[in-house]
Amino acid sequence: VSTINLRRFIGCAVREFTFLARKPGCGSLHITTDACWGRCETWEKPILEPPFIESYQRVCTYNETRLETVKLPNCQPNVDPTYTYPVALRCDCGVCLTSTTECITSV
Amino acid sequence: PVISLLLLSSSIGWSSDVLTPGCHLYPFNVTIRSDRRGTCKGTHLVYACVGYCESSAFPSRYSVLVASNFTHNITSTSRCCTISKDTKVKVRLDCPQGRHHDEIEILTAKACRCDMCRKSRY
Repeated sequence: VSTINLRRFIGCAVREFTFLARKPGCGSLHITTDACWGRCETWEKPILEPPFIESYQRVCTYNETRLETVKLPNCQPNVDPTYTYPVALRCDCGVCLTSTTECITSV
Repeated sequence: PVISLLLLSSSIGWSSDVLTPGCHLYPFNVTIRSDRRGTCKGTHLVYACVGYCESSAFPSRYSVLVASNFTHNITSTSRCCTISKDTKVKVRLDCPQGRHHDEIEILTAKACRCDMCRKSRY
């Protein structure tokens, strides 16, 4: 994605993402991994029957992942130091699955 | 007379026409018929909102993992192309022999915006 102009990018792609892995009782760790970013097609159109507006909403999310486990530093003796997170292998426009995903929509 | 409405519109396959980021008005024709034989019929240009708004997905924070009992290891944030302003338009149905006319009100989009993906339709 880095070579493409992101302001004009249409679609859903794997993109580098850095986050701070932390959990109680351990030190935190900056992790750079592959996540998903993009612009997917969404629309709303008027229809004659209730609810009078039909909508199509797809978001850029993980299609295929593998799990990566790291050890956090400086953990207390009684705390499990492992931290597991998903790495995006493939991203696609799709429905946000509330079974596996925290779906947040913002204004 | 009670009119049973049939809506026919040629709105499929519009995605390839508007390949720019953002959320834009998109015109399409709506044809309304009073019955299956199309005794009374009217066509009107109305607007939908079609577009490409930003969304992303990334590993969830630890607090989210705990709150979801470690089932939500992905967090997705998104915005969707929505109708932010709409208005009603009257579609005139013309009947044979010009005997009478019916008018049906339908919605049309006036403005569009990348906004919340509404939960009820999400």
